Parts: sequence; structure tokens; C-alpha cells
Amino acid sequence: MKLSNFMSTVMMTAAIAFGGAAALAQSAGGSLVFLVQPEPPTMAGYVSTSGPIGLLGPKIYDGLFDYDNDGKMVPVLAESVDVSEDGKTVTFNLRKGVTWHDGKPFTSADVQFTIMEVLKKVHPRGPNSFKEVNSIDTPDAHTAVFNLGNPAPYMLRALSAYESPMVPKHLLEGQDIKSAKLANNPVGTGPFKFTEWKKGQYIRLDKNESYWKEGRPYIDRIVGRFIPDASTRAAAMEKGEVLYAAYNAVSNVEAVRLNKEKDNISVTTDGYSMINPMALIEFNTKEGPFTNAVVRRAISTAIDRQYMIDTIFFGYGNPATSALSSNFAATGLHAEMPHYPATGDIAAANQMLDDAGYKKDSDGVRMKAMFDLIPYGEDWKRGGQYIQQVLGEIGIDVELRYEDVPTWLKRVYHNYDFDMNLNYFYQLSDPVLGVHRHYGTNMIRKGTHFVNSSRYSNAGLDALLGAGMKEPNAENRSAIYMEIQKILARDMPVVNLFELEFLTVYNTKLKGAYGSSMGAYSSFADAYLD
Amino acid sequence: MNSFWNRFSRNKSAVLGLFILGLVVFMASIAGLIYPDDPFLYSRFPLSGPGVNGFLLGSDSIGRDVASGIAHGAKTSLLIGLIATLAAVFIGVIFGAFAGYYGGLVDDVLMRITEVFQTIPSFVFAILLVAIMKPSIESVVIAITVVSWPAVARLVRGEFLALKNREFVQACHTLGMGDVRIMMAEILPNCLSPIIVIGSLMVATAILIESGLAFLGLGDPNVMSWGFQISDGRSMLRVAWWICTFPGIAILITVLAINLVGEGLNDALNPRLRERN
Repeated sequence: MKLSNFMSTVMMTAAIAFGGAAALAQSAGGSLVFLVQPEPPTMAGYVSTSGPIGLLGPKIYDGLFDYDNDGKMVPVLAESVDVSEDGKTVTFNLRKGVTWHDGKPFTSADVQFTIMEVLKKVHPRGPNSFKEVNSIDTPDAHTAVFNLGNPAPYMLRALSAYESPMVPKHLLEGQDIKSAKLANNPVGTGPFKFTEWKKGQYIRLDKNESYWKEGRPYIDRIVGRFIPDASTRAAAMEKGEVLYAAYNAVSNVEAVRLNKEKDNISVTTDGYSMINPMALIEFNTKEGPFTNAVVRRAISTAIDRQYMIDTIFFGYGNPATSALSSNFAATGLHAEMPHYPATGDIAAANQMLDDAGYKKDSDGVRMKAMFDLIPYGEDWKRGGQYIQQVLGEIGIDVELRYEDVPTWLKRVYHNYDFDMNLNYFYQLSDPVLGVHRHYGTNMIRKGTHFVNSSRYSNAGLDALLGAGMKEPNAENRSAIYMEIQKILARDMPVVNLFELEFLTVYNTKLKGAYGSSMGAYSSFADAYLD
Repeated sequence: MNSFWNRFSRNKSAVLGLFILGLVVFMASIAGLIYPDDPFLYSRFPLSGPGVNGFLLGSDSIGRDVASGIAHGAKTSLLIGLIATLAAVFIGVIFGAFAGYYGGLVDDVLMRITEVFQTIPSFVFAILLVAIMKPSIESVVIAITVVSWPAVARLVRGEFLALKNREFVQACHTLGMGDVRIMMAEILPNCLSPIIVIGSLMVATAILIESGLAFLGLGDPNVMSWGFQISDGRSMLRVAWWICTFPGIAILITVLAINLVGEGLNDALNPRLRERN
């Protein structure tokens, strides 16, 4: 899609969104209690992309745009955006009459400050999303002109309240952003105002009476409850104490049961396409048993991805078919690659290792390896145990290691002291935002979490990644990513396993909360209780 | 030996305990024969109920045989219980023996050290130790040993205090025997009975601690154990009750059996009860 076409779609979507909303008559009032798991450390969504912060932050802070379930841009703080012919000047026309929760007006200076001083500096992904933004001009209070070094089409996919929340300049300016008080006393422009944080129990947000969108929000109060025990969370959902639980706060097995047994409880996999999570194995390509790409390809060939989805995640997920998620197919950036069989082929994998000269010893073992598992619960442990069995069948004797989160992060992303590592990454709404960090030589950043821990470095690939980042033409871009996927299917520094489908479990009493592709990371301004 | 058995068998529940324990040991020893496959081996039949698809006690979420897990887990539980107990008794006896025999400053130092360990709640301490080391079968054994030995040290110290001034010990002194020889060859055999009793009960505690650790996800992910099975199946209790129910029963009856045997040993070895006959 050409950028100009893209823009007209944006405008049309805006028209539909406004027109459609007026026709509905929703009941106002009531409290929405939902699960936040685990308790967030702060509410500084501009510093951390941590999941629980994402559940609360976008209710308090707005972004410039939101994205509907088809991925189309929906105006929020920006009413429209114009991209110049050369793609290097992006002009945002900001909404008028918006105020912060403390009464101060929201202006283009806030946008300038947020992007240049906050997101580009302290946000985990901001430096990537806004890499090309050299400066922002503010000709008047409601216009922000982004001056880019190169075209950056992916930037327009990173403007949601979760990914790039707009923060108040007057409360942050001149302070150390990371330790500013705003983190625990958030002041945004969003539909809900922060009221109370009872540590260990809940965070309460109340309706923002002067929200810019007429008649919104419908709900008077939002309470995010913290319940550490999984069975208790499921019971709370079952009893109707909580109405909404996203990101598998209620485990798949319980979600499937509740969906079946309870008329008023439903599940959905919508609301995660912008997150785009991918389960995968990272390999140490510099040391240990997996320095040869043949072995990595053999492992990818042996694993029965569909079996893992069916048994461990109760059918929710899609087998990976490439380094890029099939969710990118909509933008032409995905193609099925070899060595990604959905159901696994042990014989072929054995053959590959035989041909490469890896002999089995008398115990049928070709090599030994240590397998680190992401310490995020038993699903991953089960997954690791399954893979351990499969690799045993192709002569790779692996030992499992399951540590606490800080130790594991340090081992993989700081010390590189691992052979293979079970993990999942968010591929996000564009490969530039979520995938490049995995493979680029410049992403071998010792001590930074969730980047290129394989230490895979390929000058040819780096050049393609750079080209893919700047290419404004969709067709050319598709061709570039085709090449990238081919290289990655051959070298496989990372073996993708399956596209995770997170489940949102909700009480059917809650309506109107499902219109954004940001899902649980959206504002809930349109949500109401029936 | 005969009289010992007579006294032991007078306690009917102790005999029952011994019988059950024998069954568990038997099951552990033939686990590899009846279930030659790895207990972690997945299958195409996840969440089959007991008796369905050829699974005697059902299968778990990735189709692993619960019965095979219990049989192989018995080996793990018993082995951990036994090794941890032996190690704890060994350390406890040394600490207790020296503290009780020498008294004074040695006693003070050793007992203060023991108390440091005793003041920390044992299960919390075990969790801490395993979390610091990486979860593995060795770290679990070490953790259980570290939290178990102080009780033995206390007991042995008391026994040594009581025995060290008795005539037979005095006689050894006059004969010119060395301290270590007196401790190990003369006093220790005389306080063996309470050590055996406390040791047998410690095996049961060790099995419970191991299960608890595995339940909290701190077990060795490479080794099948009952605690692991329960922790794995807990979240599916409403859907597949059998995954954690059967290992739970296994823990219950094994620990019960060991406790009954311990009680029987206590009866049989207690000299005061002996005189009553």
C-alpha cells in the first residue's frame, strides 16, 4: 500500500469510527474489575513495556493513534497525519481542547517532548521506532511536524497508547525521567484518572469527566486486581468477581473449561495481533554444540509444532513457517520457508545430521547440550520436556535448566552462557520493531534483554535489514523481506516454533472493550457493562 | 535379632507400615522393568483418564503416563530421602558428639552454630538454598541435609552428655583410650537407638520436603518425582483430577508407612519398653 493510500484509509476509518459510535446507545456507569497479573512495578509505560503496565497505562495515557482489529489507524490525540511525498516529513494535526488530568492543556510541545526526550531516550523500543526522527517542529500548539532522516513507514505502527504514550511535559521536564514521581502518580489525557494503588491488592482508576471524546468513557471506575495464584484467578473469573482477564491470566486449560461450562464467559484471541508473540529457541551460534547451522535446521525439522500447540496450549497457536510471523502476510512480508514442518519429521532430521557427519555413539547420542527454559511457568517447562524427548530421538541429549528470572536473563543476555534457550518474543506490528532486534549485528548488545543473544552476525543480512527499514514501497519491501527470510531459514540462529495465541477470557457482561487490535493494552473508553 | 523382631511385630501398624514400605521399595526397584521408557516420554494421547488408552492411572497434559511417573518417582523420592538423611545424620552425629563429649567452649560454639540453623524455618530455608543453587537433584539433597541435621546434633549431644560420665566411659579413660575412639566405638553404639528412630522419621520428612520443593517448581526438571507430577497437574485439577491425585496418594501412604515403621522401631529399641516386658 502506498503511503498516500494508507492515509486516506486512516481518514475513512476515522469517519466510520465516529459515525458508528454515535448510533449506539450504551448504558453508562458501573465498575469494571479485571485481572492484572502480576502486579506492575510502576505505571510508567513510557519507561517500560512490561505487560502489567500495558494493562493499566493506556487507560490513563493516550497515544496519537489507536489501531482497530483490521490494523487500521484510529485517531486519538492526533486527528490526522500527513506524510510528505518523499516520506521524510510527517505532520500530525493534533486534537484541540484536550487537557491533562490536572487541567493543563495538551499541546504539540508535549508531543515534541514525549518523542524527543522520553521515548527516544528511555523507552525500550522507542529508540528503534523513532530512530529516524531528527527533530520535531511545533509551528502552532496543534501541529507537530516530524523531520525524518529517512522514510520510516513502521513508525506509524508504533503510535498506540501502549507503545508510545503521550506524557505531560510540565510534569517531567528538567527531571530524571526514569525516577520521576509521575511513575507512581500518573497524569495523562486518557479516559480514566489514577485514584488509588493499594499495594498487593489493586489499582483503582476513576472516570475522567473531562475526556475529550464526548460521552466517554461509559464506565465509572476500573479496578485492576492482583491475584497471585492461578487457580484463585480462575475461580474469581468463574464467580464473576472479575470480568476480564487477558494475557493468559486465566490459564488456557481453565479458559477452555469456563468457555464450555459457563454461558456468561467467553474467550477470544483478538487483541494480540499488534503484539504478535512468537515462541522460539535461541541458539548460541558462537560456542557450544550449535555453531553449525545444519544442527539448528535439523532441530527445527524434528519438532512437532502442532503437537506442542495442541497439547500444551490447548489448540491456541499456529505453527511457525518462517522467521517472520504469518501475521505479517497482510503487509506482504511473510512467506513459508523450508525446514519448518508443522508436524515434525524425525527421520529427515536424523538424515540431515547423518549426512553432516554427526555420528551416533553406542547410546544413540550424537551430542550433548544444555537447554535453558524461560522461567514463566509450567507451560514452558512442559514444552521443554517435550523438546528434550524429541531431540533425544535425533541423538541430541539435552539437559534442562530452569532458573529464576534474573539469573536466566543474566545468563542468556549478559553472559551468553547457554547452548539453546526456549523463549518467546513479541514480533510487534512490523519486523523493524520486533524482529530486527533478533538478528542484526548492531543488536548484539551485551546486557540488553531480548535482543540478539545468538550473536549471529551476517553482513549481507544486515544490509537487507537496513534496506527493509528504509524502503517505502510495499512491493520492494516485500522482496527485501523475502530475501531476509530465505537467509534466516538457511542459517537459523533462532528457530521459531509457533505463533502464540494469547487468550482473553471475559464475562459477556462487559461489552465494547474489543474494538482495538491493542486488546487489553487499549483505553477501554468505549467499554460498557450490560 | 529375634527378640527385636518380636518386639517390633507386637506393633501391628508398624508391620503394616513395613509391608507398605516394602511394596514401595519393590515398585521403585522394578520401575525400569515394567516401564522401560523414559517417564517423561510424551504420547499422542494427552489427558486420558485412568484406564483409557492403556494408561493405568491416566496420562497428563502431554500424554505422559502417570503410573510410570509414580513408579520412577518412587525411586527419586526414596533415594533423596535416604541420601539426605544419611548425610544429615552424619553431620549431626559429628556436631553432637563433639559438643556433648567435650562440653565447655566447644559445646558453646557448636551449639550456637546449630541454633543459627534451627532459627530459620526449615522449609523456607530449603527453598532459599535451592533457589540460590540451581534446581537439581544435588541441590535438593544438600538443602534437605542442611535443614535436617541440627535436630540430630541436638539429640546426639544430649545422649553424649548423659553417657560421658558413666562408669564404662571412665573405664575407657583409665585404659588410655583416645577421645575419638571412645566417642565412636563406645558411646555412639550406646545411643544408636534414638538415632535410628529419628533417622527413619527424617526420611519421611525429607520426602515431604522434596515433594514440596518440586511442587513449587524447584525440583530438578530432568528427574521425575511425585512433587513434580503434582505441581504439573495442579492447574488442571478441575479437568484432569488423576494427574495429581495418584502421586498425592503415593506420597501420603509412603510417608505414613515410614512413620509407622519409625514408631515400631522406637517401641522395639526403647530400653524402657524392653524392661516392661
